[in-house]
Amino acid sequence: MAGSRLEKIGTVFTRVQNLLRAGVIKESEKPIWFDVYAAFPPQREPVYQKQRKYQVKIADPIPEIFYREDKIRAQFYAVYGNGPRAFELNRPNFISVCQRFVEKYQELEKLGDTDEDRLFEETGKALLAEGIILRKKGISGQAQQHSSQVTEGIDPILQMKLKDMLKEMQEEQHPVDNPPESSESHQKTPATE
Amino acid sequence: MEPYIFGCRLEQDIIDLDKTVDHLQHALNFTAHIAYRKGIILFVSRSRQFSHLIGKTAKDCGEYAHTRYWQGGLLTNSNIQYGVGVRLPDLIIFFHTLNNVFEQHTAVRDAAKMNIPTVGIVDTNCNPSLISFPIPGNDDTPSAVELYCRLFKMSVIRGKDKRKQAELLYGL
Repeated sequence: MAGSRLEKIGTVFTRVQNLLRAGVIKESEKPIWFDVYAAFPPQREPVYQKQRKYQVKIADPIPEIFYREDKIRAQFYAVYGNGPRAFELNRPNFISVCQRFVEKYQELEKLGDTDEDRLFEETGKALLAEGIILRKKGISGQAQQHSSQVTEGIDPILQMKLKDMLKEMQEEQHPVDNPPESSESHQKTPATE
Repeated sequence: MEPYIFGCRLEQDIIDLDKTVDHLQHALNFTAHIAYRKGIILFVSRSRQFSHLIGKTAKDCGEYAHTRYWQGGLLTNSNIQYGVGVRLPDLIIFFHTLNNVFEQHTAVRDAAKMNIPTVGIVDTNCNPSLISFPIPGNDDTPSAVELYCRLFKMSVIRGKDKRKQAELLYGL
């Protein structure tokens, strides 16, 4: 059967149409798909278009997608790091700590507050009231205990327990006067009592 | 691929799904009509992850699949590769337009050369210009490819059933 192997000229349909018109392909040899294509043509003619390897300045590039909440999210991640709870991807309607933060922030914003820093702190406190502990990232153990805003994380409490245990072991083995203790072991938290 | 992309969220291209639905509708309709007219359909993909699934889909709907290395002259030199007077496919469906080295699959160009219409899933890294009925969509995840397999199998089987029905009713 005659054909036209010029894939860069026109479309499959136009080439076969022209071959039919010229009489090169007989009506009896018309391809099966021809009538279907004629009845239901595609949205775009499949003409060959070379892909430019190096992109020239395009008038209409792909738009970036950003939401208003992204600003709040960026602030949240900068201050609190990844957040206390990991994302559970197997649950479809899972709301992460960051998302709850954003929702609480927007609620408080609607109530009338406009100052960003105050809103941020207020949201932190509100979430604390609901039971979500947010830990500021990048602060060492000592400095953390002096900050009154943020509740202590798990690790300092564990450290204190270990130190108390070690101290008890030492006292059992060597009943001598205890060396001057650091400020950490004096603090009593509900966990160690 | 720019007209089919909705936007870019944190370096990830998001395909406009409204356009995908439209294109998918057209492509499945075309497939069903070809199946109705007793056309030969060839499923092509060079992704090793899904080659078994696509082969099984082709077998289940009674059509053909080619998910291995595509030799240069399979369509263009078919008379010598297979023998004189071979019937070439009437429609080629690409589940993955790219081959294993992320270049366009040879069959896309060869189908255009042999005047065979093509349907193909084009991802954001593909060139959809030579494909007659492109479907902008994700071709990487198993759930997506399984969906496409199911849809194409359904449309081919429906086309063939309609044909059988028509033959019985009107004695075609």
